[in-house]
Amino acid sequence: MRRVLSIWLSQLPLDLRVRKGDPRIAAPFAIISEIKNAWRLTHLSEAAQAAGLSPELSLPDARAICPQLLTEPCDPVREAALLRALWRWADSLSPWVALDPPDGLFLDITGCAHLFGGERAMAVHTRERLSDMNVISRIGVADTKGAAWALARFKGRTIEIAAEGKTGAALAALPLEGLRVPPKIATDLRRTGLKTIGQLSEIKPAELARRFGLDLTKALSATLGHAPDPVSPKAADPIYAARMTLPDPIGLRDDLLGVLGRLVSSVSGRLESDAKGARRFALTVRCVDTGDHILQIGFARPTYAPLAIIQQFERPLDDLKIEFGADWFRLEAAHVEPIQPFQISLDSHKQAEDDTSKIISTLGNRLGFDRVRQFMPLQSHLPEREFVCVEAMDRREPVLWDTAPRKRPVRLFKRPERLVTLEPGRPPKRFQWRKLVYATWEAKGPERLTAEWWQDDRGAVRDYWQVQTEDGPRLWLMTYPGSNEPNWYIAGRFP
Amino acid sequence: MSVAQIINRRDVGTLATLQLQAREAVCLSGPVRLAKGRVHEVMGDSADMFAILTASRLAGPIIWIGLSRDIGSLAPTALQDYIDPARVILTEGISRSEVLWAAEQALRARCASCVIVELSAGPNLRESRRLQVAAQDGGGVGIILIHGRAQTSACETRWHCAANKSGENTWVWSLTKNRRGELGTWCVNWTNRDRSGGAYEAGVIHLAVATAT
Repeated sequence: MRRVLSIWLSQLPLDLRVRKGDPRIAAPFAIISEIKNAWRLTHLSEAAQAAGLSPELSLPDARAICPQLLTEPCDPVREAALLRALWRWADSLSPWVALDPPDGLFLDITGCAHLFGGERAMAVHTRERLSDMNVISRIGVADTKGAAWALARFKGRTIEIAAEGKTGAALAALPLEGLRVPPKIATDLRRTGLKTIGQLSEIKPAELARRFGLDLTKALSATLGHAPDPVSPKAADPIYAARMTLPDPIGLRDDLLGVLGRLVSSVSGRLESDAKGARRFALTVRCVDTGDHILQIGFARPTYAPLAIIQQFERPLDDLKIEFGADWFRLEAAHVEPIQPFQISLDSHKQAEDDTSKIISTLGNRLGFDRVRQFMPLQSHLPEREFVCVEAMDRREPVLWDTAPRKRPVRLFKRPERLVTLEPGRPPKRFQWRKLVYATWEAKGPERLTAEWWQDDRGAVRDYWQVQTEDGPRLWLMTYPGSNEPNWYIAGRFP
Repeated sequence: MSVAQIINRRDVGTLATLQLQAREAVCLSGPVRLAKGRVHEVMGDSADMFAILTASRLAGPIIWIGLSRDIGSLAPTALQDYIDPARVILTEGISRSEVLWAAEQALRARCASCVIVELSAGPNLRESRRLQVAAQDGGGVGIILIHGRAQTSACETRWHCAANKSGENTWVWSLTKNRRGELGTWCVNWTNRDRSGGAYEAGVIHLAVATAT
């Protein structure tokens, strides 16, 4: 049987300030956040509670009750960081720890508790360690995650333990919020007169599902241990970086490449052993006189190949001006992704793909990755919106192009070019474009295109003509219908 | 080194290039062949179609390099009749020197079977020699689309391509420079194979009239 310990850090935002030594905690102080379009109190200091305030009170009401109240808006980012730090600390209690944002942790303590002298001793130990760190906590222990969660929050005691196999009995008296169902379902249940979890377990699940949906029965069976609900820990992302400090500054190219080679072999060795590759690498060079210089390179596909990394760094290193030398280096891999190792010699297709991404990396590192692009189809009938150019580095999946439903020019001018009409007509019989005079031999059209219906301000109605000129070139002429003296434009050139 | 040795070396070199030419060339149709590992220049209105049809005869990625104003107007919706637009890798340089650098890198990479470079003025002798050496290393076909004037260069062949008014997908291709072979002018007509399967197949190129110049 699994045993789960749930820690509720009930005053986490306040603990954050206590740990910083904030003097306001001793006075009436509250954390506020915007709930239902109003600033409301969420966490209160002891002095504020003594002054008669309670959570969920709106800020103006609270000020009326306690005029000297000090408040501060909540800071979810810093609170999450503290929770994450505690999550790492909790590894000392159990190897199987999961985050329960915004203010809780789950520990799978199956087979761990005896190391601390039993479950109660373990819970006491945990609370003491946390309070050493100025963090207030409540703890529930039960067979399932849901039950431990509910016991920690709704039992009103600092440590609550449900004996093995006694989950149902322990939860029976708890309110329905203990099931972690959406508030609407809890309200609906309350309307029908159901108040506690115990009352629910007397009703047939099918009946409940019919009236309140499957979410409720799923939550109930997971909480009571009829359905699996494991603690799934998320491992911290490892950082692939290496650093080198030298006793004396260096500045020669060969020395720099030597340092780079050592850093790269360390980082890429770790990447390789984890079957990972990185798309970006950043090398920080700390010069003794000019400070840090960060050189960055990118790859079209995740890689750990040391030679490729060194090769791409050679150019930025050559461009770097080092006058008095550099004595501190750090190489960091970013955008780390898992890669599938493959055998190079036997897989010629993969080899070709590899070569392609190599040339994309080479071109992109010098010209900029936004300048190396590929086409992607879009769903539209407007010629200029039928496709888009995306960075070749970002495209991972092969694209399928359907057969073109309409004939389109091979050169499509994003901004149609105005032509000079020499002999009017529809389309013009003779016209001048880019300093050359053309005569119409044959014309096909018009093809009338209107703007996409959901975009009311994008362009007007347009008429397109395929014009075969006397001299050979096939042009795509465009005009806006409806005007008395139409202006003509060249929208493109056919193959 | 003696004179005889130099002559021998030159012979070996010529022989090697002749073998290379005999072995590796992409055939568009009949006598219209482009040597691999070489750079070819194409001029005229329909130069881009010549390049696209050459690319359709080759497998692998097509690296298309040019200034923003040149490659920015390329539309995949028309390309997909001839080639798979997903093969095209557009590379934009902000100056002529960047374009030439990118062309050299791309030609040297073994993966690119076809490198298309757009230039406003043709490469000069020095630039084209560099490209030629890079192409020889990589073994792909280099095609330079020249929008303006051509210069004296080390290119293998130079083509002049114009649209023909007799219908869609018809062009007049004339070979105006050829380092190894004859010159000629061809009226070209391209017809698509049945593409019911959805796969990109190279269409058929008919050389309707062949007139020697």
